[in-house]
Amino acid sequence: MKTRGGRFWAVFWGGLALLYFFLPLYGTLEFSLRMQKGTYSLLAYQTVLADPQFLTSFGYSAAMGVITVTLSMLLFVPTVYWIYLRVPKARPIMEVITILPFIIPTIVYVFGLIRTFSGPPFQLTETPFKTDILITAGYIVLSMPYMFRAVDVGMRSIDVRMLTEAAQSLGANQVQILFHVIFPNQRIAILSGALICFALVIGELILGDFLVRPALGPYMVQVGRDRAYEPAALAIISYALTWICLGLIQFFSRGSKTQRQLTGR
Amino acid sequence: MSFLELTHVHKSFSATAAVEDFNLSVDQGEFVSFLGPSGCGKTTTLRMIAGFEVPTSGTITLDGNDLTFQPANRRNIGMVFQSYALFPNMTVADNIGYGLRVASKPKAEIKQRVAEMLALIQMESFGARYPAQLSGGQQQRVALARALAFHPKVLLLDEPLSALDAKIRVELRQEIRRIQRQLRITAIYVTHDQEEALSLSDRVVVMSRGRIEQVGTPSQIYNFPTTDFVARFVGQINLLPVEVVSRAEGVVRLGQQTLRAGQFERLNGHSVRLAVRPEELNPGFVEGANNLMGTVDSITYLGSIVRIRVQVEGQPLSLDVFNERKFQFPSLGDPFQITFPVDACWLMSGSDAPTATDQGAAS
Repeated sequence: MKTRGGRFWAVFWGGLALLYFFLPLYGTLEFSLRMQKGTYSLLAYQTVLADPQFLTSFGYSAAMGVITVTLSMLLFVPTVYWIYLRVPKARPIMEVITILPFIIPTIVYVFGLIRTFSGPPFQLTETPFKTDILITAGYIVLSMPYMFRAVDVGMRSIDVRMLTEAAQSLGANQVQILFHVIFPNQRIAILSGALICFALVIGELILGDFLVRPALGPYMVQVGRDRAYEPAALAIISYALTWICLGLIQFFSRGSKTQRQLTGR
Repeated sequence: MSFLELTHVHKSFSATAAVEDFNLSVDQGEFVSFLGPSGCGKTTTLRMIAGFEVPTSGTITLDGNDLTFQPANRRNIGMVFQSYALFPNMTVADNIGYGLRVASKPKAEIKQRVAEMLALIQMESFGARYPAQLSGGQQQRVALARALAFHPKVLLLDEPLSALDAKIRVELRQEIRRIQRQLRITAIYVTHDQEEALSLSDRVVVMSRGRIEQVGTPSQIYNFPTTDFVARFVGQINLLPVEVVSRAEGVVRLGQQTLRAGQFERLNGHSVRLAVRPEELNPGFVEGANNLMGTVDSITYLGSIVRIRVQVEGQPLSLDVFNERKFQFPSLGDPFQITFPVDACWLMSGSDAPTATDQGAAS
């Protein structure tokens, strides 16, 4: 009887959580389909997808996302590896540094960036290309808490020092150790960090807005101000994109036997 | 000049000395064990040979080349770790071939060598598996094959069997020795398990507090310990506080009973102990030998042997007898006659741990 009661409450709370999550989503979806009066249609979606500005801003943000993910991966994996191997005492310091983007409001950060980099000696706002460098660096800083923690958890799951020593004794140099041993064993950690990092860049508003770059965030806000049904359609599209990203991560992380071993699946 | 030579090697971590004045010469093809309790510096010494630690002072040479400051990846020394350290992302074959891969050897050569190594460890059909699909014993065999595949000059083993259960440990121990003999590779083996060290090695280096206590063959170490530490650490031993009657003849007295010792050259000072291993003692009386009378204190069954503890003049004395069916065991409190040959015991001076039966380390 007790089990039965327990199961009822489990189902009840589970159902309530699902409702809480899906009801607004359903509301948005339903609303996005009502652009044509009296009937459901995909008109809002057609309008959004037909808008060249959407494609431009989505393309821009996606490209920025890929660049940010690549650079933060190249920055964080070797850094965290080095901390684990040589300076474990620096880990708490890194924890504090990487959490700063949560403490300092993005708007303050952006003003700081603009003040510092809009004049000599580091003038980075005069051409779109230079501003893109600045915005990428900004994205890397904003995604730092997620990327650092993902890689940190990954490093903790393997005995970094011992694997390094084993590879060293077999004649491998630091670069070989990093690419043959550390990176492959961090695949899942890196992928999950990359997903969050990518999603963050796709939805980021303030950096794109204040540095005046054609990012998806400012575009969505603009559409939200000017239109009624299209923002709902955009929200659904961005949900779908996130789920596609999740699916891809899942697909790649299940990709080989090795990874199944590593995750115990 | 020896193949591997450690000269006045010293290692300190901040103010603490981990290894002090370590001198050792190892011949090519020799199997040497470093034996000692935790924190005695044995692993630090091994790590200095491997190149993972740099000596504070002293030199390490291998085959005439000074290795002291050479990076670990250029030493050509294979290492087997306590927790295997196999690369989880690589198959067994890739793990074994990794040393050759980073040395940019041709694929065909790597494949052939991997096959040879798999045959050597009798795991021919396991090449495509991943480390997580293997048992602990199998993983350690693969780690051994990996450490040997790239033709290292020396093989280092850092407590390779401590993570395994007793039965596998004994099997793998014999396997390691077989492979080492077959390949005639110089091996340094670190362990805190005296049985492992004694059964595997050509020579054993007993260490304590960062220093070498004694270097010798297993029988020298066990039968002729040169320091109190070695006597107490390796095997079981009875240490009885005795009174010297004749220094010249090695005659001593335990309470009212008189004994003679075979070895008493190292005797100095007033505090003297008579050392004798439990297996040297026998029940009964033999004319001309040392004979002691006491009462049975406890009897412990250890399978093939039975350990009888006897109180002699207020001192506990352990003797080991084979567990034969015909043997009539005494009852607790019975008077018990013990005999042992004069040359089975020796006199030791020193003040630490003056009484009781000292227990060896992990056995």
